[in-house]
Amino acid sequence: MIELRHVQKDLGQFHLKDINLTIERGEYCTILGATGTGKTLILETIAGLHRPDAGQVIHAGRDLDGLPPEERNVGFVYQDYALFPHLNLADNIGFGLKLRKLPKEDIRAKVEELANLFGIDHLLDRHPGTLSGGEQQRAAIARALVLEPQILLLDEPLSALDPRSKEKFIGELRRVHKLLKPTVVHVTHDFEVALALADRIALMHDGTIAQTGTPADIFRHPSTQGIAEFVGMENIFSGVVADGGVVLDGGLHVDVPLGDHTGRVNFAVRPEDVILSQARLESSARNSFEGKITDIVNRGALARVTVDAGLPIVSLITAQSLGELEWTIGSQVWATFKSSSVHVF
Amino acid sequence: MPTSRPARSSRRYNIVFSAVIAVVTAALAGFIVLALAMVLSRGLPNLWVSLQTEEIQFSIKLSLYTSLASTALCILFSVPVAYGLSRFDFKGKGVITMIMDIPMALPPIVSGVALLLLFGTTEFGRWLADAGLPVVFTVKGIVLAQFFVNIPYMLRIMRSTFDDIDPRTEFVARTLGCSRFQAFRLVTLPLSKNGLVAGAVITWARALGEFGAALMLVGATRLMTETLPVSLYLNMSCGDLPLALSAASILIIISVLSLFIFEAMGGSPAAITRGGGGAR
Repeated sequence: MIELRHVQKDLGQFHLKDINLTIERGEYCTILGATGTGKTLILETIAGLHRPDAGQVIHAGRDLDGLPPEERNVGFVYQDYALFPHLNLADNIGFGLKLRKLPKEDIRAKVEELANLFGIDHLLDRHPGTLSGGEQQRAAIARALVLEPQILLLDEPLSALDPRSKEKFIGELRRVHKLLKPTVVHVTHDFEVALALADRIALMHDGTIAQTGTPADIFRHPSTQGIAEFVGMENIFSGVVADGGVVLDGGLHVDVPLGDHTGRVNFAVRPEDVILSQARLESSARNSFEGKITDIVNRGALARVTVDAGLPIVSLITAQSLGELEWTIGSQVWATFKSSSVHVF
Repeated sequence: MPTSRPARSSRRYNIVFSAVIAVVTAALAGFIVLALAMVLSRGLPNLWVSLQTEEIQFSIKLSLYTSLASTALCILFSVPVAYGLSRFDFKGKGVITMIMDIPMALPPIVSGVALLLLFGTTEFGRWLADAGLPVVFTVKGIVLAQFFVNIPYMLRIMRSTFDDIDPRTEFVARTLGCSRFQAFRLVTLPLSKNGLVAGAVITWARALGEFGAALMLVGATRLMTETLPVSLYLNMSCGDLPLALSAASILIIISVLSLFIFEAMGGSPAAITRGGGGAR
């Protein structure tokens, strides 16, 4: 268990005012916050690269104050990976083992095992500069995991990846966490990443942890308006997995990317991903529901339209199309969203 | 069309503007090449003969020895100091940085006087001389003068080299089990190889040409403290033009070569003069 108690650190540009956070052993905790709020600083403080101005970092009941990073048994992955450019991948991944003076064959075996786990075993002789972002990413995580750290610290490890690699990598992270069970602290500004990975989310705001809870908690009960806006999803539903989709409490069947979810799940759809139309859309989007408009709120160029299709679905459409279609409260419309824009948690 | 006239005249202005820049640039480059050519055209024909003389051989040997020694000293001091200034934040860092830059701003001849007073007139200087490290009027003094004048250049290059290396690679190395020193030795030092070589080459070339400070500290004595620049100076004074210009040619060749090496190692002239004041 890692515990941050009233941690303060002022680096001028970044300022931790009062960080209180408890992360259980083996838990995947995501610290979610806007860019520039000092999230990286929290990780670097846990790693021992910065000494807090005040407060304590406690791991397994022990105050870590004064303990240098090399004695903390943490793995660290930076946003831009920070691989050692002068070493090839094998030497990058094996760096920690070599420092511990392990026999060469053991190092090689362990490096290959991890490289295998991340599918980069064919790249071991290459230097980081010749690799793609995703490959460097995997190498950086393999390097951090090679010493089997109790704590894995991830600093926006997905932000530099394209959407497809990102999705794939989320799956890999999930698998690796299940396999090796390190305590993970993952900072990100991307709510969807947090949603997909976290056992628990800690929301960071203005140098403090504003709220912690399971993704569902934070979704359903954002403690402040600011958090609600940051979370930014209004269509939150709950249902039971059945027939390759989810059956909602109201009886509607929704196609969602299920992954390995079973039983009762929550899912959400961003209002901007919901398309409204006069007639049923002939498209690949399978989730199409008919209903009546119950509410229209104009927000400048966009209008927020609520459709009652057995359950309220909120859609953001341009004010222009709203005017052209002459929809008013009571109009009969179809609300459609793709299953790929559904976020299950 | 009414719009065609301003367009055409603006085009003409553009051509004139470019032409002026081209002419000025060509003139400046020509000026520099011409000046060097004057020396080389008279120095090179005599070079082979001059190389046979005891005096030129002596000054080449002395120049090589002193410049290599002072460059080694510069590396020895600049690496830890530049690393500290690049990585650590401490009170008075700005002042320290400025102090380190002073010898660069001083006229070398003033540096020479300062060294002469420090080592020639104080207890400290006498104590050093008694301990077997006499500086005034000795070869060791030449090394010291070169070191004093050049250390700011080496420092600046190393500082900007270390500044350019992401400290987070060191952070990661620490989490993987490195002590501060191991992180420096295993990560930062290998990554600064190019900067180190570039800095050493440019420092060495400057040391070869050092004249003013050494002149004050050790004088200009034939076959005693006669480095290549001193040889040039002495032979110009007594009218032995072929010998003087041979020494000058050797210095030009070495300077130009080391400039090439410096550029090839990724060094840029900007690295020398770039202000190193900004705290990380």
